[in-house]
Amino acid sequence: MADVNVYHNDFENKWCPGCGNFGILNAVKKALARQEIPPEKVLIVSGIGQAAKTPHFMNCNFFHGLHGRALPVATGALLANHDLNVLVHMGDGDCYGEGGNHLLAALRRNLDVTLLVHDNRVYGLTKGQASPTSMYGFATSAQPFGSFSDAMNPVSLALSQGAGFIARGYCGEVDHLAGLICAGMAYPGFALIDIMQVCVTYNTVNTYNYYNERIRIIDEKNHPAHDWQAAMNMAIQPEKTIPIGIIHQKDTRPFTRRIPSLSDGPLIARKRDPSVIRSVLDESG
Amino acid sequence: MSIDVTVTIGGAAGQGIQTVGDLLALVCHRTGLHLMVINDFESRIRGGHSFMQLRISDEPVYAADDTIHLLVALNRETLAIHAEEICAGGYALIDEQSGGEVDDDADGKAAIAAVGFRRLAEEAGGRIMANTVAAGAALGMLGAPDELVDNVIEDQFREKSQTVRDNNLKAARMGRDAVADIAFDWRLRWPGQSPRGKLVSGAQALALGALAADCRVAFFYPMSPATGIMVGLAGYMDRFPLVVEQAEDEIAAINMVIGASFAGVRAMTATSGGGFSLMVEGIGMAGITETPAVVVNAQRPGPATGLPTRTAQGDLQFVIHAAQDEFPRFVLAPRTLDEGYEIMIRAFSLADRYQVPVIVLVDQYFTDSLGIAGGRWDVPEAVDRFLVSDADMADPAKYRRFEMSESGISPRAVPCAGKARVMVTANEHAEDGHLSEAISDRNGQVEKRAKKMKAMAEEIRPPEVLFPDSGLLLVAWGSTCGVVRETVMRLRRENHDVGAVFFADIWPFPSAAAADALSATKRFVMVEQNGTAQLGRLIRTQTGMEASGAIVRYDGRPMKPGGVVQEAMQYLEITDG
Repeated sequence: MADVNVYHNDFENKWCPGCGNFGILNAVKKALARQEIPPEKVLIVSGIGQAAKTPHFMNCNFFHGLHGRALPVATGALLANHDLNVLVHMGDGDCYGEGGNHLLAALRRNLDVTLLVHDNRVYGLTKGQASPTSMYGFATSAQPFGSFSDAMNPVSLALSQGAGFIARGYCGEVDHLAGLICAGMAYPGFALIDIMQVCVTYNTVNTYNYYNERIRIIDEKNHPAHDWQAAMNMAIQPEKTIPIGIIHQKDTRPFTRRIPSLSDGPLIARKRDPSVIRSVLDESG
Repeated sequence: MSIDVTVTIGGAAGQGIQTVGDLLALVCHRTGLHLMVINDFESRIRGGHSFMQLRISDEPVYAADDTIHLLVALNRETLAIHAEEICAGGYALIDEQSGGEVDDDADGKAAIAAVGFRRLAEEAGGRIMANTVAAGAALGMLGAPDELVDNVIEDQFREKSQTVRDNNLKAARMGRDAVADIAFDWRLRWPGQSPRGKLVSGAQALALGALAADCRVAFFYPMSPATGIMVGLAGYMDRFPLVVEQAEDEIAAINMVIGASFAGVRAMTATSGGGFSLMVEGIGMAGITETPAVVVNAQRPGPATGLPTRTAQGDLQFVIHAAQDEFPRFVLAPRTLDEGYEIMIRAFSLADRYQVPVIVLVDQYFTDSLGIAGGRWDVPEAVDRFLVSDADMADPAKYRRFEMSESGISPRAVPCAGKARVMVTANEHAEDGHLSEAISDRNGQVEKRAKKMKAMAEEIRPPEVLFPDSGLLLVAWGSTCGVVRETVMRLRRENHDVGAVFFADIWPFPSAAAADALSATKRFVMVEQNGTAQLGRLIRTQTGMEASGAIVRYDGRPMKPGGVVQEAMQYLEITDG
């Protein structure tokens, strides 16, 4: 195992003290150390939000782009070089709101990246508005009479679309989350890890206490993760308890292995042969 | 010009206009004739009225013509719509089963020949070949040599069965025989030479240019009239290190381009104004992250959905300014098919060299028209990516993606390629790539990006000037230059003192070259496919020089020389007087 500190970057961190993002940041570093991936071989792509700032606090390559658009940037990067280790960090508003269409497309493509959604059920960067995973009635300064919409369920959504790796983590269970990230990165295909995250400033409903009372680590012996129906039952169960761990896993064919023109290696490594275009031009007269 | 004949094939969408037109174009191309083929169609899959118009000549032609010599009417409506355009000695071919009596008043003075397109097709082996009968009849009218027509049909149906090939040969001959007795005034003298160049559409020229430039990924969301460019590329995935992927929307497409380019390969997208509008935030991200990106905007009339299948030049001011705040970019608008190929090679090279977005501005008229490209179409032997690696760095651990430099260009490394870590954010940032709100970083990065404009301006090519000392100059850009070239030639044949200025490189604006070209004349008049003469406005803001007027068209139809000549005359009368 590599030293966790090699992934550290002392760029000034302005997250609130107690922010759930710290647990997620530590879990990512642990997961990379366990897999012994050198910092220069890691690419983190992120959107916009407090979650999306994660790579600034790490020693790695990163592309911190636009709100909602991390998955398309990751798609482009992966097609250019499918040997990359790509982690995508997004928040719930970023991924499930602004970037919802890209999530659906990434599920369909079975894009071979690991997506970590820092799901704190509230907008933090913009100071506390309801998000797609906020509970119905969740009151904020912008929704003073409560959110009028139901919360979306990212796990059952991904299951309904045939995703091959779906896990739920918790920012308060760092070691367990690191294990999920390792499993997601080892999985050939799209790995979605929806992470229950606490926002100590803007979400006074889904607090550490709220989660600590409800979180149950999934016992692999009693949960057949390959069984889609069992996974769906777990995904839609009432929130009296919140199971964390690998909810569903099955073998799938990842995106970059579906594309014939990638079978000879990453595009970036391929040699250009000007004679091919010359012969194409000759064919047109 | 001893040959200058226009053939129009019209009918309802789905009737196979393209099949007839393609056969005619291939026959003309193979024997060494020049061609300009425009496609005019409605936004529908079936019905309505569409047409394809071929102008055939023994010299290069740059625009469609105003009159029709031979009309191939696949339905009755086509005759009614186009009869007035048929010139003296012209002919219309119509299917004898198309219904309705020929009405001399409504159908003008053209001679009309009813041919059994469908009846003969059935005799030849099936109704589906009615278009081949029509093509055979049209080529028969034009006097095309039998062997030439047979060879082209053989090649067109090479991948079909022997029966299909034989039946089509038979159908074409039956069409030809059906018109054998007609004395057609506009029968061609067939040169029997070898092709004068490549027979390609604008969309193909752009796609081939992208391939020659080593574009390795292309992302798009389908949108007329840009889809043809991406469809043109997609077929080459089995021969090049290339992936063409249909994105879930245009926002995804531009972000994928940026992701792929960041990771180290050349990447592009193509769209039209509506899709480009969705890409605008991404264009800004390419700007602030200094990531190369090539974006083709094939314009159509807007705003919003506008006229989906028609042509326009209404996006010039939009693409120059698209995205909030300020950052350098290139805008290039090819004038010809040859230039379309070449400009794509330049676009990728400029994007890499200056780490900026490059917008290639074309339109429906450019992408959907076919013509003979007679240029050399050079393929660069090597492609310089302007990238750095660990070996170029004193200490890769200290690599800074946005390091200050004299030129404003920072060394660009690829992520995960060595020890250097590449850190990029769409936030304003410090030299190392970390987001920063420090005034020194903000000002430093804004100024660093702006510095690139100086060398970028030197890459810009001056406008082409025809007859610089003329009393009146017509000024155009992009695809409209073709029709203005024809206009100038026609007016000069009538001894009018007129020239032209043609812009392809639009931004950074070649202010000095433009001022030079325009100060040689007393008056200049803009010719543009938009309502407010947008290039004219740009010339005024960049040079202070004001056009005397503008000939504009915004109905979505391509300009033709006749109309431009007529409008130009009012300015000429003043000049000449």
